[in-house]
Order: sequence, then structure tokens, then C-alpha cells
Amino acid sequence: MAKQEGMVRVTDATERITHWLLAGSCLFALLTGIGLMFHQWEIIPTLLGGYYATKWMHIFSGVVFAVSLIAAMIMWWNECRFVADDGKWILQAGGYLWEAKDLPPAGMYNCGQKIFFWFVVVFGIIIVLSGLVMWNPLIFPVALARWAYMLHVMSVFAVASFTIAHIYLGTFANPGTVQIMFTGWATKAYCEEHKGRWLADRELKAEAESAAE
Amino acid sequence: MAEYIKLIDLTKCTGCRACQVACKQWNELPAEKTGFSGSLQNPLDLSYDTWTLIRYDEIENGSGMQWIMRHDACMHCDWPACVKACPSPGALVKTETGAVVHNPKYCIGCKACVVACPFDIPRYSKKEEKIAKCTLCYDRITDGKVPACVAACPTGCLKFGLKEQMIEQAHKRADAVGGAVYPSNPKYETHVLYIMPTEIQPAQLQHVNPNPKMPTTMLWWKNLFKPFTLLGIGGVAGLAALHYMIKGPHRVSEKEEGGEADG
Repeated sequence: MAKQEGMVRVTDATERITHWLLAGSCLFALLTGIGLMFHQWEIIPTLLGGYYATKWMHIFSGVVFAVSLIAAMIMWWNECRFVADDGKWILQAGGYLWEAKDLPPAGMYNCGQKIFFWFVVVFGIIIVLSGLVMWNPLIFPVALARWAYMLHVMSVFAVASFTIAHIYLGTFANPGTVQIMFTGWATKAYCEEHKGRWLADRELKAEAESAAE
Repeated sequence: MAEYIKLIDLTKCTGCRACQVACKQWNELPAEKTGFSGSLQNPLDLSYDTWTLIRYDEIENGSGMQWIMRHDACMHCDWPACVKACPSPGALVKTETGAVVHNPKYCIGCKACVVACPFDIPRYSKKEEKIAKCTLCYDRITDGKVPACVAACPTGCLKFGLKEQMIEQAHKRADAVGGAVYPSNPKYETHVLYIMPTEIQPAQLQHVNPNPKMPTTMLWWKNLFKPFTLLGIGGVAGLAALHYMIKGPHRVSEKEEGGEADG
């Protein structure tokens, strides 16, 4: 997208596509998983063409989730390393629950987003590995296969709950955020507020580059 | 409809395999190509097309070698782990007779029941993408007949009848022969009971779970994490709504203007 006045480009297309592949496959797997786990939610498999079709849709969305999780890990691993300021940020709950006095400026991602990333990585890996066992459980020892079913649902509980918070914080709670994952652009004011350290680093870099020219 | 129990008296089994044949015949199951394995047990295991078979055990005890023949099939649990695991309604059903019945029409071939079963009974067919197992001849017993295996048994090893009568008979017989009734876990009842001869412990026999129970992982999965999934999603959504109403959205532009006024 062309450069816009007063706007900062935060994400590139690769990042946005990876994010939505991960999010879309995760939510679709969650939907089909709920349809398979709760007999009361028969409406989901019914709308999707029956339980057999839903089983395969669940497996395929799981495969997409696994691939996009790997891509997300490669892309965000370094950006989501914790720094000293993150401790200060999380101790004040990012200013979301009470008035924070001296909230340190965040980098590309704040501490909460980083925690969410590592949460998805850890439990996402458990979900993928246990899901692979559940796909073909008869080639594994039965005790391991039984653990897989339990760990799969336990990790889904953990990730799904956090995901709701992630969706809320990215939309209603912080207007201007979700656009970063749609168009890639955010206002300069938004970046100063939410990605202060990242913006400052970026501007320093731009200055150095223009000075070099 | 009344609840039934199939009673298997191991002191009376001669290993004739009439039950095995009758099962195939009634359920119209094809024969399997088998080979010589050094055992009379044939085929060697249950399969999608073999819902019951006689297992042959050779057990060393003080007085020498003892031969145990055992009719092995679904135990028709009162609280079936396979039904609890099954994601597709109607694919595995515990009926009012006590028989646990599979319905191929609804089976989606997920194999969760195979993993869940404490007796390792359901068998999966890759070709059909479905499971199959003994149904306690649900079609026969609801028509006032006994299961095909029981009807075929020539020695009285297999008996079939009303639950209370069969439990009473089982304990009477066990006392008479000095044996024990298996399974004996009062928290995990089954609609199939064995009378084990005196000198035989369940753990000595192949393919017998000495302590059958609902798998603990199943309880954690179905009774804890499953409801937690919806509770977690709904709970966090509720908290988010509360946060929105109490704290409201975090608007950047307003703060920006405030900041400029300060400066």
C-alpha cells in the first residue's frame, strides 16, 4: 500500500497473511472441535455437512494451523523475546486495569502480546502433537494416546480463553489495532502510544540512513 | 426393557469355538485368512470381522500346566468409556438392555473408542473407516432370543439372562467352584461376567485387564477440560464486556490531545 500522510506502516503482507492463516485455522479448528466434542452443538456438524466431513475439516484446519504456527514462530520469535521493560509493563497490567504511572514504551509488541505469543507457541505445539497422535492413535501405546486426548482439550481450553482476550484487546479495547492486521497501517499517534520504542528505533534508523546518503 | 447379563463360566469352556462360528454366522461376518501360529487360537486377535474368539492360555501352576480357554468379546460396560469418548451421536449407544451397540451409519472412524476402551475391544477398519465390535446380539435379545454365541454354546459355559438373576447365579457358581467373579470393580460394572476358576488370576490371562475402570484421562478430558473450554471462552468474553463497560476503550487520539495541551 502506498505511503500515507500521518500513518506508519507496521506490518508487511507476509506477517498479515501468516497471522490470519494462524487465526483462521485456529478458530475453524475450534469451531469444528466444539461441534465434535459437544453433542449439544450438533448444529455445527450439521451446517458443515455432517460429522464425517467435520472430522476431516478439523484435521485439515489442524494441518494449516501447524504450518502457520511454524511460520509464526519463525517470524515473531525474536520480536517476542522479553526485555527488562516488559516486567515493569506486566506489573502494571499494561495500564488496562488501573491507571499506570510510568508505563514503559513497548517495542513492536508489548509484554501482554508477547505472553500471548508464547502461550500459543507452547500450547499450540501440544495441540499439534497430540492432534497428530489422535489422527492415528492406534500406532501409539494406549497410555500415550489417552494422554493425547486429554492434553489436546486442556491446551484448547488454555489457548481459546486467551484468544478471546486477544480478540477483545485488538478490537474493542484498542481502536486502531486490528487495522494493523488488515491494511498494515496505523496512525503515528497510535504507534507513539502503543509501540513507542519500536517507532523511536525506526525513526533513528531512518535518520541514520538519510544521513548516510 | 429389562437389563441383561451374559455369564461366561470358564470352568466349563472346552474351546470348541461354536460361539465364534455362530457370531460370524448371525452377524454375517466374512471369514479371515488365517495361518498356523503354534496356538489353537485362530484368528489370533479380534478384528473388524471377528467380534468374538476363544483365547487359549497355557498357565504354569504348582501342579503343572493348565489350559484356559476364554470366550473374549465386548464386556458391555454399564458406564462405557467408548460411548463417553465417541464424538458422533448414535455411533455408539448404550441401550436399555445393557448392550453397547455400534451403528456403522454414524461412525466417522475417529478411533477414540478404540483408545478409550478398558478391555481393548473395538476394532478399526482402515478400508471401511469405521469400527466394529460385539453388540451382544442386540437385534436378537430385543426379540426375546439369546445372543448367537450363547445359543450355540454346547457346554453351558455361556449363559444369558436377567441382570439380577445372572449376578446371583455367578456368585453361587463362583462359590461352588471356589473361584471368583470377574470383573469385580463395583464402580465399573459390566453386562458380561466371568467365573474364573480358583487358581486363575485375571492378570495371568492374555488380553484381560485385571482392574478395568474408566480411564482417568477420560475423566479429566470429558468432565473437566471439556466444560472448561466453554467456560473459559464465555468467562473471558464476559470479563472483556465488563472491562469495556467499566474502563471503556483506550483511545489514542484523546490522549494525544491531552499530551499536547500539557506540553
